[in-house]
Amino acid sequence: MPVGLSVDGALGYPSPSRPFRPSRYVPVSAATAFLVGASTLFLCFTCPWLAERFSSSIPLYNVVVFLFTLANFCMATFMDPGIFPRAEEDEDKEDDFRAPLYKTVEVRGIQVRMKWCSTCRFYRPPRCSHCSVCDNCVEEFDHHCPWVNNCIGRRNYRYFFLFLLSLTTHIMNVFGFSLLYILHHTKHLDQVDSGVTMAVMCVSGLFFVPVAGLTGFHIVLVARGRTTNEQVTGKFRGGVNPFTHGCLKNIAHVLCGSQAPRYLGRLRKPHSVEVQPPFLRPPLSEAQLEAKAVDNGIQQSKSSLEIMESQSTDADPPPPPKPEHRYPGMPHTQNEAFFQSECSLLTEAPPTPSLYKYRPSYSSPGKNHTASTHSSKMSRGNSMTESPSVPVTTGQPSYRSDPSLSSRGGAGCRGGGEGGKAGSGGLGGASTFGGRSYPSFTDTLLQSAAASCSSSLRSAHTAHNALGPLISEGTTSTSYKSLANQTRNGSLSYESLLTHSESPEFESAAHELSPPRPHPPHSLSTAAGAPPISGYTSPFLSAQQREGSLQACPAPLRPSPNRAFLRPTSSPPSRAPPLSPRARSLGSPPPGPAPGHTPLGKSLSYAGGAELQHRPSSSGGGTPMQNSTIKQNVANHNTPSHKPVGGVKKVTGVGGTTYGISV
Amino acid sequence: MAETHSLQDLRQAAVTSKVFVQRDYTSGTICKFQTKFPAELESRMDKQQFEETIQTLNNLYAEAEKLGGRSYLEGCLACLTAYTIFLCMETHYEKVLKKIAKYIQEQNEKIYAPLGLLLTDPIERGLRVVEITIFEDRSIGSR
Repeated sequence: MPVGLSVDGALGYPSPSRPFRPSRYVPVSAATAFLVGASTLFLCFTCPWLAERFSSSIPLYNVVVFLFTLANFCMATFMDPGIFPRAEEDEDKEDDFRAPLYKTVEVRGIQVRMKWCSTCRFYRPPRCSHCSVCDNCVEEFDHHCPWVNNCIGRRNYRYFFLFLLSLTTHIMNVFGFSLLYILHHTKHLDQVDSGVTMAVMCVSGLFFVPVAGLTGFHIVLVARGRTTNEQVTGKFRGGVNPFTHGCLKNIAHVLCGSQAPRYLGRLRKPHSVEVQPPFLRPPLSEAQLEAKAVDNGIQQSKSSLEIMESQSTDADPPPPPKPEHRYPGMPHTQNEAFFQSECSLLTEAPPTPSLYKYRPSYSSPGKNHTASTHSSKMSRGNSMTESPSVPVTTGQPSYRSDPSLSSRGGAGCRGGGEGGKAGSGGLGGASTFGGRSYPSFTDTLLQSAAASCSSSLRSAHTAHNALGPLISEGTTSTSYKSLANQTRNGSLSYESLLTHSESPEFESAAHELSPPRPHPPHSLSTAAGAPPISGYTSPFLSAQQREGSLQACPAPLRPSPNRAFLRPTSSPPSRAPPLSPRARSLGSPPPGPAPGHTPLGKSLSYAGGAELQHRPSSSGGGTPMQNSTIKQNVANHNTPSHKPVGGVKKVTGVGGTTYGISV
Repeated sequence: MAETHSLQDLRQAAVTSKVFVQRDYTSGTICKFQTKFPAELESRMDKQQFEETIQTLNNLYAEAEKLGGRSYLEGCLACLTAYTIFLCMETHYEKVLKKIAKYIQEQNEKIYAPLGLLLTDPIERGLRVVEITIFEDRSIGSR
């Protein structure tokens, strides 16, 4: 039998390994035991007499039905129901904080909503649903059946349906023939055979009612072309089902359709095609040529770092692209410029930035979460405990990433030795890091220069990001993916600001060390939560590190796009005071998890911790404060070059807390 | 077969960005991709070519999912053999997927790689998107 267990295959990561829960196996074991046990007893004790008395075809028939039932049971149990592999990081670049929670598509004239799955990182196709038991999105999700301990979806629905039909038939057979036996042995009921037959009869009679009921239910579903999920949630109660093709066609689709392929565990063949320049270009139209000329001019003017920096300090964002433009557009000229300058900075590795990430960030106030998201994604998997001195910037987000944060100078450039394709990405915060390397803000000119480039981008993003949360807060009725991933109470409370459990926040905070953005400090506590970046020695920080867990330590410094606190001016003063005391309390070496941690953790878990874990961007709560701290730091030493010259920068935060940041 | 590549050969052009061609659900849940030409490719390739590629893919997927005699026979055979036939035989869908993989490779070799693009088989993404990788064009004067 093809085994479609949802394990990590050569392709796709259905879900990280889940804790072993023996209670999940109780129903399936019971079902197996009853099925096999009762049938065997029937075949051994009742059938010989039946063969003798009537015909040997009766046991044969029963054996065939039993084997058919068992085969379908095994297929339903072991076959992959149609699990979607998790989307890779580069796919959801545009599906970000400002991306809506739902996307609507028209299916045969009817509007169907596709919901963003924060675990799997894509918009669920129609009829797809995420199974919380299996922690996977399943195509044409029917239900999760405990009796087979598997989801029933597109690939194995047929076997499940046939299992139900055959099991009903089998139960009826067993019950009927057992009854026949008993009726012929009324005077010999004390015999073993009779006793066993009566027991089997009872069991089969007992199971007949629910099984037949379920079978009838599914016959109706198949005829109507609905899944259990759709029926139970009442999706098409009042309306029309766009997925039905008529009764006969629906039945044919279930019973005679071709076996759908599995998506997991496929051998991913590497591309054997080499793509090397020079590339052909299609002939450009007049308009395109003109646009190109303009672009070139702009790019050249931005090729220098200084210009970039000054741009980053500009408060004016570039004009936003159309919000409906969902394709990752060709990078803006600005992005290209940045990309090119970053390329020039890094000579150690081929630059592989993903410019599409920049574009949305620059485009609109609300749409600039991409970079931060990516940075958050990158740091999601890292454990700051391993190399506390290395801040995490954007990189290839991955829970698989190896936090090779210890590499300092060359880390960013090298890509962490993880086969990084992105050299500039290592330092350029906003670019994708194939190698998932994390730069360290050390004294190297290169890094600082690059970092300032990237951080300037970041800070620009941050400014835009600041608007985002305000907007989203103001429109709580609009569902955004980010909101869905955060506190459900709709308020982007600054409790989440103190999130230090999400690594991206550290990353962004670290990132913000050198950017020249003068932001008033909102609270240095969050900055304190960052891992020691080049000797950043806040007591809170060390406390954080002492946590020694991904949960506590990697307080991401990613500029949270969702926090109003990023706004330099608009940060509600009322928020500051509560923060600082908390910050101070966090600042002192706490015996255990920082006090500010606990409520944060609670709020996170309330919001759906699992989701939040997967959406590090959601934990941006802590970020703004860290960002502001870092920005404050930057403002303090806004030297023309953002190269760290060594020494300790004193940063004063809200409430007078001072931190020394050594750069 | 021993494959020795110099570092130069192995080093591909840098990836600039990726375009994702989404599924077209207007006809239901059958596997079909949108033929709308993405804006990012406007300067890189011909619209007609792109549409033709996607259309061919759609046709291939339609063939894979067709409810015909072939799939019915396969189902019956599977039932009769208690599904052990799946151990030895490839399903119809899988056969078409192989065809699709070959087609994509061919398209990449002939059309897309020279343009600095690369198609990725949508099966790797769970048949949700067609990923087109755009490679950085470092040819002088291109920017």
